[in-house]
Amino acid sequence: MKTAANLNFGEKAIIDSIDQNHPSFRRIIEIGFTPGQEIELVNKSFFNDPLAFALRGTMIAIRKNEAESIRIL
Amino acid sequence: MTEFNSTLPVVTLVGPPNSGKTTLLNLLSGKNYKTVNYPGSTVEYNATYFQKQFNINATLLDSPGIISLIPNSPDEQVTIDALYNHPKFGIPDLIIATVDASQLSRHLLLVDQLIRSHFRLIVVVTMVDILNRKGYEISIQNLKKELKCDVVEVDGRHGNGINNLVQNISTILKKEKQELSEKPIRIDENGDSQILLNNYKKIEEIEKSVINPKLKQADLEKANKSLNVLNSFSRNKPDNLTLKLDGIFLHKYLGILIFFILMGLVFTSIFYLALPLMEFVDESFASLANFAIEKIGYTWIGDLVADGIISSLGAVLVFVPQIVILFLILGFLEDTGYLARGAMLIDRPLSKIGLNGRSFVPMLSGYACAIPAILAARTMSNRRERLLTIFIIPLMSCSARLPVYALLIAFLLPLEKAWIGGIVLSLIYLFSMISSVVIAALINKFRKSIIREEDNSSFILELPSYKLPRIKSVIRNSYSSTKQYLKEAGPVIIVFSFILWGLTYFPNTNPKIEDTNLTQVEYYEAQKVERISTSYASYIGKKIEPIMAPLGMDWRIGVSLISAFVAREVFVSALAVIFKVSGDEETIQQSLLNSMRNAKIEGTDQKLFTPATILGLIIFFVFAMQCLSTIAVAKKETGSWRIPIFQIIIFSGLAYISTFITVNGLRLLGIE
Repeated sequence: MKTAANLNFGEKAIIDSIDQNHPSFRRIIEIGFTPGQEIELVNKSFFNDPLAFALRGTMIAIRKNEAESIRIL
Repeated sequence: MTEFNSTLPVVTLVGPPNSGKTTLLNLLSGKNYKTVNYPGSTVEYNATYFQKQFNINATLLDSPGIISLIPNSPDEQVTIDALYNHPKFGIPDLIIATVDASQLSRHLLLVDQLIRSHFRLIVVVTMVDILNRKGYEISIQNLKKELKCDVVEVDGRHGNGINNLVQNISTILKKEKQELSEKPIRIDENGDSQILLNNYKKIEEIEKSVINPKLKQADLEKANKSLNVLNSFSRNKPDNLTLKLDGIFLHKYLGILIFFILMGLVFTSIFYLALPLMEFVDESFASLANFAIEKIGYTWIGDLVADGIISSLGAVLVFVPQIVILFLILGFLEDTGYLARGAMLIDRPLSKIGLNGRSFVPMLSGYACAIPAILAARTMSNRRERLLTIFIIPLMSCSARLPVYALLIAFLLPLEKAWIGGIVLSLIYLFSMISSVVIAALINKFRKSIIREEDNSSFILELPSYKLPRIKSVIRNSYSSTKQYLKEAGPVIIVFSFILWGLTYFPNTNPKIEDTNLTQVEYYEAQKVERISTSYASYIGKKIEPIMAPLGMDWRIGVSLISAFVAREVFVSALAVIFKVSGDEETIQQSLLNSMRNAKIEGTDQKLFTPATILGLIIFFVFAMQCLSTIAVAKKETGSWRIPIFQIIIFSGLAYISTFITVNGLRLLGIE
């Protein structure tokens, strides 16, 4: 399954689901990563981690490991 | 502003960070408010009244930005508790919640929680202009219908809509008091993520019915082509300027380069801006002390006023320039939105040593003063990372070390080569940075026995849109950090400076001097020397001499190092007292340097201060845990003595061992 961590720079995708077993599950959806939302990878840090996504009109930086819990369509 | 009347109705502003809350506060209060701490906490809120012209007789409170009513950090806990029931003002009669129209769905999450908590609510929609620029418009009428509460649009820049809002507020507040104070119900759905998902679903439905494209699709495409700003019309993305700037600041290579250049500039500013100011404060208090003793006379009262009171005040105030300057720069970077980017850039390397991108700001603050820095770690949600951050903050080169380094470097360098001082100081900072990284990594390795917390690390951070900093809030920020330092460290430094003065003054308060051909001043100075060498301080110093001897140092340096526990900078003034420096020479530093150059280890012909011992002392100050106020704050913030005790043992032990190795290693190499 493709996750948000697999997105290329500038690539858009729709969120399918979030891995419920990820320890930060609740905080990831609280900040706005919910199924059906469109996200776009807009920035990568020097080490390709964290990643910054455009989402709901703003930008959110999350770690690669957290992006891997976001499954995309 | 006078004391607040707690019988008046209370209106509280709530909203996510960057939702235009502060702008609204400025509009309603006329930029006239008071920043207060929640009792027993460093979290600050603003309290004020409505501007006279609005004719609303109520208290207006502003709360720190939150995205949800379920707390994720100690700071958020305080904010949310106070929202439900303010420790001073009680339950709010009315809540005004700000939402940014351009990121409506995220911001409505909080509004939804407020409604379900049964607060009486007015929703203020801000930044509609940004949404319009993205090619969309919002229907306030529909939003009102969907939320079933008052909704007002306010344009923060021009103040349009503010009168409408004020009218709504007055109408609600005029209702019967009982009707207003329905007790809010705390929502507690911490474990249940399904509720959160359902709420978002509900909110997205609302959003669909209130936000629509401004133009027809065909027009939109035409507009895109003609303006060549295709991306800016995507509603999900932040504004174009932010995207463009991030193309530079978060660029893979350029971004990291800019980051290091910026941090380099921050540290250089300490040297070129803060050091001269610190020297100015230091010299002013020294001459004030001299003036006092001349006026009062060379008696014990004169000595108490000059060396006890004035000098200890000076010891507190000397750090203020660096703390103010560093927090002004940090506040400036924070307000533009850059610090969040810095945290993102540095997260990966910091996570390797058990820290977090969010440790970045507290650690940077540590270069001003460990006290506000340790308090700043409260915004961190992960307890293990927070404790580790607090643990290593004392290794950051704080302002109190600066005068010590300045003196020691001046000893090493001939006067005509003073310009090298800046380079040597940068090397010391670099050395301390590298060693604190290594130490953090080691502590993280042994965290099971030192930190004793396990937690899942996460880094989720909103990168706000870039904007021009608001000078007033930058100044407020710097002021409140400086206040934290003065409040926490001030009393400790003053009390212990007093004790120190007592230890150097008693018991031989009025020693007899044989030589009768002395002027009054000379007689006084000679007495001072005699008094110190027979004082309690020298007694303690001689007791610890066996510990100092392996470092090639004697009791006098030992006493100075003990005094440095008050605050590191006291080391310099303690040396000045012990090495018989009189105040009437040109500069205190120059005369102190001269006496240091001539000092011999007691009973021998060996020089006490050599390049080897000076370098050893520098190394000692890089590592040693010396500041009593920091120890007290670390205890308070971590909730036990465990971490401060480990800090003392590990850092001071490390300081002793590495000083021993430095001094003796250099001697073996033939460098004295």
